[in-house]
Amino acid sequence: MISRGFLGRRRPAEVEKRLPPGQYLVTDFPVLSAGPTPHTPLDRWSFTLEGLVKSPMSWTWEEFRRLPSQTFTVDISCVTKWTKLDTTWIAVSVDTLLKAVQLDPSARYVMAFSDGGYTTNIPLAEMVNGQAFVAYQFGDKDLAPEHGGPARLVVPHLYFWKSAKWVRGLRFMDRDQPGFWESLGYNMHGDPWKEERYSGD
Amino acid sequence: MQPPQLEWQVAKVTAIRPETPQTKSFTLALPRWMAHQPGQHYDVRLTAPDGYRTERSYSVASEPERAGEIDLTVERIADGEVSSYLHDVLMTGDQLEVRGPVGGYFVWDIALGGPLMLIGGGSGVVPLMAMLRHRAARRSTIPARLLYSSRTQDDVIYKSELEAMARSDRELGIAYTFTRQAPSGWIGYHRRIDSAMLEEVMRPLGADIRTYVCGPTLLVEAVASTLVRMGLPAERIRTERFGPTGN
Amino acid sequence: MMHDDDDMNTALMVDGNAVAGELQQIFGRDMTMAVARCSSCAADSALGALMAFVRGPGVVLRCPACETAIVRIVETASARYIDARGALYMRLEL
Repeated sequence: MISRGFLGRRRPAEVEKRLPPGQYLVTDFPVLSAGPTPHTPLDRWSFTLEGLVKSPMSWTWEEFRRLPSQTFTVDISCVTKWTKLDTTWIAVSVDTLLKAVQLDPSARYVMAFSDGGYTTNIPLAEMVNGQAFVAYQFGDKDLAPEHGGPARLVVPHLYFWKSAKWVRGLRFMDRDQPGFWESLGYNMHGDPWKEERYSGD
Repeated sequence: MQPPQLEWQVAKVTAIRPETPQTKSFTLALPRWMAHQPGQHYDVRLTAPDGYRTERSYSVASEPERAGEIDLTVERIADGEVSSYLHDVLMTGDQLEVRGPVGGYFVWDIALGGPLMLIGGGSGVVPLMAMLRHRAARRSTIPARLLYSSRTQDDVIYKSELEAMARSDRELGIAYTFTRQAPSGWIGYHRRIDSAMLEEVMRPLGADIRTYVCGPTLLVEAVASTLVRMGLPAERIRTERFGPTGN
Repeated sequence: MMHDDDDMNTALMVDGNAVAGELQQIFGRDMTMAVARCSSCAADSALGALMAFVRGPGVVLRCPACETAIVRIVETASARYIDARGALYMRLEL
């Protein structure tokens, strides 16, 4: 049955072409998560690069904040179908982080890991050249805990479940492994423009 | 007894009644009505012409003794996709797709006995009202108390019905607390629920109380942990969290 | 487990009652009364009392004592996935 007078979400024509297939536009910033907000105190926080690297590298919060940062303005798309345009972040590019380690030649995939146990997998080639960053500011404010603060990964060209909130590091792997949602029916890659939502898409 | 397999059915809206500026009650006639247990809810599903669908759950407000139909009391949430539709678009005579009744954890009926302590915040009072209406319909004398937290007196759902119930039932007591503005001349509670308030309201019930707490997540967590700290056994406390409250 | 936060993520957290309908469709009976033993801390909780995160790509039900994910449910376009490895067992009254 169709619910009389229920129109669902509208798509204004001028933004139509910026929305990946099946997505609708939002202007707020929905809060979605798989678990409670962690509260790691900043003096215990660290960000680590590990796995297939010559030697692992770790930054404290102070060290991390001293790294060169950039402003990124990107569109983000969640697999639950909302897209938010022109989000602005202040972040450290993953390229900057990778300068501090020597990757093993066999490293081809990355597992991002977060407080609370969340993980998500991304091809290494899609994390370099400005495609991914670790953000600590959203708009003109410090990244709120409910949105992943103190720092979250942002990989805007993939569905937003890949942009791990409360991120604590990247582990380099030679084979693709499924993270938290990828192991339960979600697509290993997650390109919104190809609607790679579920495994087999 | 196992409930039958849940299926969607198309209900007809037979009445819509404003309760407060932010809440309305919807009476739905169900082709496949079955007696629910007070505390259970129904899932409501809306479908747009392009096939887009969305669902929400709403506690049944009415007692199972009212056969053939149910009342759902819905708070209008700002930007709420479904609550705005129900409040602003739905009319009597319309159809609404529902599935239920659902839930076996947050339920009470007179067979479970008492004494009964009900604690509700905001629209959390809805499933508790089903319990009280059922208790009244069965003319039960199980001692019961309702502690009802609202922002202001304009937010008190079922106000006149609750007052009438309490007046005519010696075993039922109702206490209200207001967290923002109390009515002028109010001498009752005017703060968030705390252990002193709970202790006062529950004291006449004695021991072995069955407690149900329902409302916004933060209220439910605070009250439940307070009750446990006060020494109530955790297995006699049932909770239902509604998520954030509308503003 | 107490959460002092006032943040929206905590406020949006509900409990297993919120997915009672979906659980009943999966298991064919009411599951909110089923008791799950946490594989991490061995606490027993009724599914209706588990912390529930329902707004993301899937549903995650977590132990109220230690926050470990006990059940995860994803509904894709064509299938439903259930991972209950977070429970040592679930006990259902006959």
